Amino acid sequence: MSAGVAARSEHDIAAMIDASAADPDRCADLLREDHEIYAQRGAAAVVRLRGWILLTLARTGITDRTLVHVLEELDAGLDPYLVAAAAHALRTYPRRSPDLAPFLMRAIENVTAHDEPISFEQYGEYATADVSTSPLQEVFETLAWLGPAARAILPQLETLRRKSHALSKARRRDLDRLIANLRNATAVDEKACCSPPFGIRDLWSSARGRTTPPSIGDTRLEDHDGNSLTFDDLCRGHVTIAIFFYTRCDNPLKCSLSVTKLGRLQRLIEERGLTGQIHTAAMTYDPAFDLPDRLRRYGQLRGMRPNAENRLLRAPDGIDPLRRHFALGVSFIESLVNRHRIEAYILDAEGRPVYAFERLRWDEQAVLDRAVEVLNRRETGEAPTTPARSIVSSAMTVMASLAWALFPKCPMCWAAYVSAFGIAGLDRLPYLPWVQPVLAAAMIITLGTTWLRARETGRLEGACLVTVGVILIVLTRFGTLDAAGWGLALTLLGSVIGAFAPRIAHNRAVPA
Amino acid sequence: MSKKRPAAKKSAKAAKKTAPRRQGMSVVMNKRGGVPERLAAFTNLSLSKPGSDDALESLLEILRDTEEPIDVRLRALQTLGAAAFASPSFPAIERDYIATLRQVATDPDPELRQQVLGILAREKDGFAQKKLLEGLRDPAKALVPPEKALQLLAYDIHAEAYPLAREIVNHPPNAIAKREALRLLGADPGAVPIFERILRDKTETPEIRQVSAAALHGLDPNRLQAQVREIVLDPAEQDEMRETSLTAIKQLAPAAVAQDKQLMDRVAQLSSEGSEPVKLSARQLLGKYPR
Amino acid sequence: MRVELQINNTPDEKARFIAWAPAPCRIRVSDPSGTSSPTVSVTITGKSAAGGGAIVFRKAASGTFASTISLTLPTDGTSVPFFVAGKFGSPSTTAGDVTVEARTGTTLVGSVPLMVRIRKNANTLTTAERDRFVSALAQLNNQGTGRYQDFCDMHATQLSLDQGHGAPAFLPWHRAYLLDLERELQSFDPSVTLPYWRFDQAAANIFSLDFLGAADSIGTVQFSAGNPLRFWRTTGVPGINRRPLFPTASAPPGLRTETQTLDLGNRYALFREMEFNPHGSAHTSFGGLIRNPATAPRDPLFFLLHCNVDRLWAKWQKKNKRFDPAVAASFESGANDPGHNLPDTMWPWNGVTGGTRPPTAPGGELASSPCVNAPGPSPRVRDSLDFQGAIDPAAVMGFGYDDTAF
Repeated sequence: MSAGVAARSEHDIAAMIDASAADPDRCADLLREDHEIYAQRGAAAVVRLRGWILLTLARTGITDRTLVHVLEELDAGLDPYLVAAAAHALRTYPRRSPDLAPFLMRAIENVTAHDEPISFEQYGEYATADVSTSPLQEVFETLAWLGPAARAILPQLETLRRKSHALSKARRRDLDRLIANLRNATAVDEKACCSPPFGIRDLWSSARGRTTPPSIGDTRLEDHDGNSLTFDDLCRGHVTIAIFFYTRCDNPLKCSLSVTKLGRLQRLIEERGLTGQIHTAAMTYDPAFDLPDRLRRYGQLRGMRPNAENRLLRAPDGIDPLRRHFALGVSFIESLVNRHRIEAYILDAEGRPVYAFERLRWDEQAVLDRAVEVLNRRETGEAPTTPARSIVSSAMTVMASLAWALFPKCPMCWAAYVSAFGIAGLDRLPYLPWVQPVLAAAMIITLGTTWLRARETGRLEGACLVTVGVILIVLTRFGTLDAAGWGLALTLLGSVIGAFAPRIAHNRAVPA
Repeated sequence: MSKKRPAAKKSAKAAKKTAPRRQGMSVVMNKRGGVPERLAAFTNLSLSKPGSDDALESLLEILRDTEEPIDVRLRALQTLGAAAFASPSFPAIERDYIATLRQVATDPDPELRQQVLGILAREKDGFAQKKLLEGLRDPAKALVPPEKALQLLAYDIHAEAYPLAREIVNHPPNAIAKREALRLLGADPGAVPIFERILRDKTETPEIRQVSAAALHGLDPNRLQAQVREIVLDPAEQDEMRETSLTAIKQLAPAAVAQDKQLMDRVAQLSSEGSEPVKLSARQLLGKYPR
Repeated sequence: MRVELQINNTPDEKARFIAWAPAPCRIRVSDPSGTSSPTVSVTITGKSAAGGGAIVFRKAASGTFASTISLTLPTDGTSVPFFVAGKFGSPSTTAGDVTVEARTGTTLVGSVPLMVRIRKNANTLTTAERDRFVSALAQLNNQGTGRYQDFCDMHATQLSLDQGHGAPAFLPWHRAYLLDLERELQSFDPSVTLPYWRFDQAAANIFSLDFLGAADSIGTVQFSAGNPLRFWRTTGVPGINRRPLFPTASAPPGLRTETQTLDLGNRYALFREMEFNPHGSAHTSFGGLIRNPATAPRDPLFFLLHCNVDRLWAKWQKKNKRFDPAVAASFESGANDPGHNLPDTMWPWNGVTGGTRPPTAPGGELASSPCVNAPGPSPRVRDSLDFQGAIDPAAVMGFGYDDTAF
């Protein structure tokens, strides 16, 4: 941490946050858990700072980029100030999506018994009287703001109403009003509205692709039995699902739940016959305290069965290499974690994080499906295919076909083509007859790769359509047929179908 | 007529149930009543069922009211605490409860302040932590003695008290404050060298050394066992530290300790030398690992 | 001739523990040498060590108990059942301090030691009983990494607290909770039971350096140098904070007495008022960990406090004959939340998470016992009621209180 930030008081940093209100991107960056403003501060100070940042972001409005920070507090946050600030800030998001309602319901479950008085007036102020707001009050206001889009959680609100002796009179009135309004509201067409941004799907984290980080293969680790191994030893030769945690985490919705889920994943992996091909690893943020015996018991008490394929680990020489490799979302006071996000990673056989599930609680089945995908890719030797790459690949196939189909037959036609474009410089290009066979070769190569992909996926439809499309283009080119449009359409359709077909392992089918 | 009767019966039954509670509350709330009568009335309150919000709010009023006798306010605080365990309506007043506790944390009465700050500190309340840290940094603002502040701050291992605790270990205002500072540092693996040093320092009091042993055990059990081994072997050690060390070995050492001939010979020697507690602890250890 | 005796119908030595409820036993001729007839008559008696437990017998599942019974055994080795129970008022102080003896005439033909293992008043435990309990507790804590932490986690968040507080299953849930902990202690030392803190009486012995510690002026609990609890640790820093708000040579003021508690009413719904007072009031007679619901189990006094709460319930059940879940007044049925109805399983032992249950279920199933099968790994609320098998002998849970007979 720079000496400047270390020396600054919380109030100075709060002033800096206020000043960043005009620059939402800069303000949002302050929410990175590893930002130096959090280093060596107590957890209560971190809460104050993060809450203030959310409130500052709300002044200009929560965006797609910052929405996940709001939702993570509603999803698994237990601190009343942060939950209140998040609920408050959510009302500045431009879209009232039905997907937001379940997060608010989760927040109600999390803070019903911690409905503290909260003040947003000044930084660091704690309410000592009832002229204030509270997390439940903010959540109910946001549900009211959501309007008919909250209809999906009406049954849960009605269940809450039956247990309303746990709510204050004011919140009972809010709840009654909310339920009455929702009963009379018509359902919102979810398709007509919009989905939350990438990173949030069906209430769980969804996988984000990661860029390849520098190698930490030699980093020393120690497992729950005191066995020493390197990071390479841990990861080499199989896919690994890795989470981060520490035994002194006091939010049971984060570390305790994540390790419990890893125990469930262990069973799912066994049920699907993938033992040995997919390993799990729970790595501690707190290696000085979380000694092997402590790690093992923590995992066992949460349903893990630690063994050579499912380990709890610490980095005895310090966590910095892991922090860099994973770009971990964690900050410390002394050696103690003062803030961390939920984070789970899928590592390939070289230990590179290919996918990350961050901030929101993750679903075991979704994580396992992604791990299986990485496993399959590993077995076919292919690099990860993202949706973007698939689309680009299909487009190139079509472009090659189109270009070959439309290539002018003579220099006069060439001149006519380029003059039609009227693009500066392009009309001075000479007629290049050698381009035509190059384009033909490109078309044949793409046809060949389409059939190769069909062999790998076992799906022939795409390749057949591309073949028919190419035949029509060739026939059109040589004047025996006038079906270039059909040819191009079939080529494009076949390429897209082939690009999105899921791969299967060469030697065995992995069960769905 | 017949339709009204069941309703009348029902409300009479409900009224009968709530009558004792109202009676109890009216005595409790009666400012003109004698303190002993009011205190006795607390015992008969009934707060375990839903619908106790109003009664709980009345207790909060008493707690906030600085004109009330302190004994009545303290009993109201205790009763609210009991309701936190038992009353399904307690979450409904949680917000007012926390607001009231924060208000009362700066009350003129030191016992009330101490109890209230304790309740808040155990909930890891940021307000309480802020007040306690301020008091440690500036004694003029202290609401409780420094040793109490350290004890309360230690409820949250994520609190910002470590630098202050280290300072107090080095420059303690009193012995209890030093002890509480060491307890607080028991959450910091970086403090292991401090505990090892103090554990072996014969100029420190047995109490301070024993706290260091307990803290070291929680952070690095192997290093504790190495240190207590040396303490047992040391002929110049204090009996109290020998006894603590023998207990640590008997309760906490791995079974392989029985193979440590030098140590077990010394334990056998201690079973017939030194104070009675040392002899007893030594014999218990030998009993666990018969030679 | 020799006979084999089995306590709790098993040769397992670990099962040689009984309480006041009758425990099923069997006897058979294991070596018929010296006999010529197809049957032989055997007398069963109990032999107590000085200060040890005492036992009584009966031949059938019902009937009166006697200090001696006679049985006719086939010499072909066929087992004959009988029942043994602790003699009320004479619990054991150590394992094996009472022996079941079988004689033909005056000849001893078989014997087996056992223990009448009973929950006692913590203030009057013998030194040995106290030290065994404290040692087992310290081992269960194991510097904060042992299973004791699970018991803290079961009682730490509002959702987990809702499973057993402020609603009808308060008493059944805590009965299962205590039994789970007690059985974990017995895995270290089977002679140990949970003692109770009789909070309406003075209990200076409990708050002593050699037992649960004596608080200093700020409430940090001190222990003698030989007390293993000085290495106690839970969720954070070492040690225990507990500041009595009353002189420990007396009882805490403001608590309902035992008589007042038992007189709350003969229906469960009325009796459950005790959750507030004396239970809640006992908790708040201190400053420190035991005072807040979320931190209370971090102080081992919590379990002695709740053992007394459970004892009061057991006494009330005995007084009002409220062991049968089918009797409406035995419980508070109605539209209760999940986990608070008689047929409901109880978290965390049921492993159910999410919804109205917490997101994790620490600790897994309820610990088993070599002596009895009840209440099973995932008990229902109803299973907690008939703990001595007054209605169904199969419901016996293997514990009893020194002042509450079968």
